[in-house]
Amino acid sequence: MTEGPIVTANELTRRFGEGDAAVDALRGVSAAFPRGGYTAIMGPSGSGKSTLMHILAGLDKPTSGTVEVEGTEITGLDDKRLTELRRDKFGFIFQFFNLLPVLTAQENVTLPLRIAGRDVDEEWLEQLLSTVGLGDRRTHRPSELSGGQQQRVAVARALITRPAVVFADEPTGNLDSKASAEVLALLRRAADEFGQTVVMVTHDPAAASVADRIVVLTDGLIVHDGDAADTDAVHDLMKAVA
Amino acid sequence: MTALTLRGLAARKMRTALTAIAVVLGVGLISGTYILTDTINRSFDSIFADANKNIDVAITPREAVKAQDNGSTPAFPAAVLAQVRRVPGVAEADGNVFDVANIYAKNGDKLGSHGAPNFVTSVQPGTLSPFSYVQGRAPRTAGEVALDRNAVDKGKYSLGDKVGVVGQQGKRLYTLVGVAKFGDQTSIAGATIAIMTLPEAQRVLGEAGRFDEIDVWAASGVSPEALVPRLRTALPASVTVRTGEAQARSMSKDIKQGFSFITTVLLIFAGVVLFVGAFMIFNTFSITVAQRMREFALLRTVGASRGQVLRSVVLEALLVGVVASLVGLLLGIVLAPGLKALFGLLGGDLPGEGTVLATRTIVVSLLIGTVLTVVSSLAPALRATRVPPIAALREGAVLPRGRARRLRTPLAFAGLAVGIGLIALGLFGGAGGGSAAGLLGAGAAVVFIAVALLSKHIVRPLASAVGVPIERLRGVTGRLARENVTRNPGRTAATAAALMIGMALVTFVTILAAGIKDSVASSVDKGLTGAFVVQNEDGFSPIPAATAGALRRVPGIATVVETRFANAKVRGIKGTGSVTGVDPRTLPSVYKVDWKKGSPATLRALGPAQAVASDKWAKDHDVKVGETLTVLTPSDRTIRLTVKGTYKDDAQLLSDLAVPSATIVRAFGTNDVAVALAGVSPGQNVNAVQARAKTALNDRFPSVEVLSKKQFTDDVAGQVNQLLSLFYVLLGLAVIVSLFGIVNTLALSIYERTRELGRVRAIGMSRRQVRSMVRYESVITALIGAVLGLVLGVLFAIAMTPPLADQGLKISIPVGTLVILLVLAAVAGVLAAIAPARRASRLDVLQALAYE
Repeated sequence: MTEGPIVTANELTRRFGEGDAAVDALRGVSAAFPRGGYTAIMGPSGSGKSTLMHILAGLDKPTSGTVEVEGTEITGLDDKRLTELRRDKFGFIFQFFNLLPVLTAQENVTLPLRIAGRDVDEEWLEQLLSTVGLGDRRTHRPSELSGGQQQRVAVARALITRPAVVFADEPTGNLDSKASAEVLALLRRAADEFGQTVVMVTHDPAAASVADRIVVLTDGLIVHDGDAADTDAVHDLMKAVA
Repeated sequence: MTALTLRGLAARKMRTALTAIAVVLGVGLISGTYILTDTINRSFDSIFADANKNIDVAITPREAVKAQDNGSTPAFPAAVLAQVRRVPGVAEADGNVFDVANIYAKNGDKLGSHGAPNFVTSVQPGTLSPFSYVQGRAPRTAGEVALDRNAVDKGKYSLGDKVGVVGQQGKRLYTLVGVAKFGDQTSIAGATIAIMTLPEAQRVLGEAGRFDEIDVWAASGVSPEALVPRLRTALPASVTVRTGEAQARSMSKDIKQGFSFITTVLLIFAGVVLFVGAFMIFNTFSITVAQRMREFALLRTVGASRGQVLRSVVLEALLVGVVASLVGLLLGIVLAPGLKALFGLLGGDLPGEGTVLATRTIVVSLLIGTVLTVVSSLAPALRATRVPPIAALREGAVLPRGRARRLRTPLAFAGLAVGIGLIALGLFGGAGGGSAAGLLGAGAAVVFIAVALLSKHIVRPLASAVGVPIERLRGVTGRLARENVTRNPGRTAATAAALMIGMALVTFVTILAAGIKDSVASSVDKGLTGAFVVQNEDGFSPIPAATAGALRRVPGIATVVETRFANAKVRGIKGTGSVTGVDPRTLPSVYKVDWKKGSPATLRALGPAQAVASDKWAKDHDVKVGETLTVLTPSDRTIRLTVKGTYKDDAQLLSDLAVPSATIVRAFGTNDVAVALAGVSPGQNVNAVQARAKTALNDRFPSVEVLSKKQFTDDVAGQVNQLLSLFYVLLGLAVIVSLFGIVNTLALSIYERTRELGRVRAIGMSRRQVRSMVRYESVITALIGAVLGLVLGVLFAIAMTPPLADQGLKISIPVGTLVILLVLAAVAGVLAAIAPARRASRLDVLQALAYE
């Protein structure tokens, strides 16, 4: 494995639409995400934070600029290589949990392994399930779980493949404050205990304050990139850039 | 992934079941057809094996020319029997006759339900007889008869009763002396059989001095196989010599061929049902794929490849296909007796007990159902692979448009052209019957698909056309319904297309049937100048030979012209030609011939070695007036006939060739009178003459009916209508499948619109209004399909008319019936909406709003 950043963005721009209706979501963004780091990408609505994450994760292509994952440029890869990348290197956590309703909690967690045709590391699975606190709920269907529980299943699903990076898109956006705190604590533990790299998009200062580092985007540009502080400091920061 | 597919199917039971219904019905029809025909065939095999069980060698007339559908091969001279007996190795030989007659029950009704045939045959010596007497004994005198067990029961007879049998000489009463069993059967395939002494049977059947079959028992130590060549050498070429076993096979094969049309007809309809089903499967999978976009996107983000997504959808289709085909196969077992009953109504009492489930039935059923489902799901499955992973993160992502979509309209137009081309080729390409029909069917199928693709563009105007009146009547619910229908035109088009196919075919057969009825009426009106048509009451069996004589003695009847039909082979011309025998001198007084070359005088002067020909037949085979044809007749004689004139005959009484009665009787061996035409003396009251004729014939010829022109046309129309109702029932299955398609689409769209329904309910729409909105949506969709189908059906019928115009077919559009069909389609729409509308109206408003 190479030392240095796992994901690197170089001069990314992204333009949606054409002509007068064109919108520049990103206008030249460069950033590096080191191994084991927990980064929060923040910014007001329309700042380009989600677009940045989509491009980092290979879900969207930049208009210009490049993304490297562990030294490999991914911006030009075909669908097959991107699929392999998502399968082997990335884990995803979404705002709307996105669990498959027909599968049990445990089956949802192991889904990425089944898709990849890999064996389930039982020990790792047990450790994850107990970490996310769902050991006794593993046979439940998503509809039988609370929102917080569903998101914890999603966290376990993102971690099961031991991905290089976990991308979390507003993971607390649909949760009450207690459930939010639990999920954030989980991601923190993943970074601390398993050395998991996490890139999280959020507009919740409380969420961002859990991260090691905060990147703030406004109008498609990075306006702040630095160590995380407490919630109040993040609030002030956001006020300053807004 | 497999587990996921299985779980998904289990979670969407209703949708899966609705999709499967199309396959279940189509496959059920296929397996039912095979089971039915296999069962019938097995019965025939065993019946004929029984009949020939005791026979070493059978001698039958050689079938020089394939007989008419309901005609029998002419009997051969009884002198052959003496020749047979002289052949060394023959222990015993006996001649018998076997032909159609009419047998009556004690209460005077004809025996044999639904037109099952009645036969008279002669007693055979015990060793050769296929019959055993379970009660009484074999007839010994001309006044005695034995009946099969079934006939005795149905006719409510007991020994000693008088049984009425109508043969060529009219009705005669016989004393019942025996009850016979045929092998192990109580009856032969539902047929009724009367056994008489040989001379009496010959007299009744008009076969005095002739045999239909000679049965031989070989001397001990002589094998049937060894005896056959010896007999062949000794006997004239006009007879066929076969072992008993070979004879059984040949008889069974002949009769199976006669019934093979049932298989063809049923399989065609099964194909239609499956074709409609394919639309429904395609549509359901398309909608489901669109609704599961999020799920596919998620799978893609967690690392599923496009191939895995494709496989998961195809696997789903495969499972639905296999299970539905299996259920369909089982349904076929239940359906087979129903199909048998359906044909029973049409006048064919089919034999067959038990169920024959051949390997072929299982393989074909499973294969067709599964392949059809998988193929129909391919396009939606490919769409599923195009769902981008990012759709999992974004609200309201739409499926990207593929290249195929842009090509869709041009492709559809190309398809339309190809379809029309195929139809034109089928109609005018001069291909034979089977391949022409194949071309027509393929062409129609391609046109249906093309129109279904194109109809997407006319959904909006059509929805306006049928929706605006509803909107006027029902205000906002009607308006919303119309908008909902046009929201996704592709989906509506595919849903409506399924109904369109059924509707087009119903319209097509309705118009064609109306055309046939009309042209029969007009050609009878034009051609028939005599007052009456005299025919067997079943409409197709011959009438007794003595009928004409009796009729001539009725006061007021001026002329009676008998017609006889036969087939012939003309040297240098492929296939079999049809021949009519009439009295050339009297025909013009009861039948007007539309002469192309010649005149009534030509007919009056027609000699025994002369014929007149149909203009179409003559043109098709390049036969000129004045030419002399060499003709092979069914009784294996070769005669020469000089063509003296040509005619156009829409009623087809005169067939391809018309010859004098004397010629057809003598050279063709045709004794049976098919129908007779009777003319009334001038100044007579036609009704009074008809009443007198009926009275005169009633006692001796109860099987004969005397019909006025109007009654005769009605009789033909009745037969056409019977066939039409059979088609309606079978096409009804296709229509039912398409209705399930509407139910499915509605249910899926409602599921999709849960939130929206919650919103309209929240702002004050009543449950009732929601229900009626869904109902109108359904009605509009159904009517779109119905209108498209109606138009296509009419166009198909118009296209079919020119080639059939030669046979006098005129296009005739039964507007009233078509309007009724439209109304029925609307009603069907209402029915299809019941369940989805209920579901929509029961949505909990709060939950619906919180949905997702």
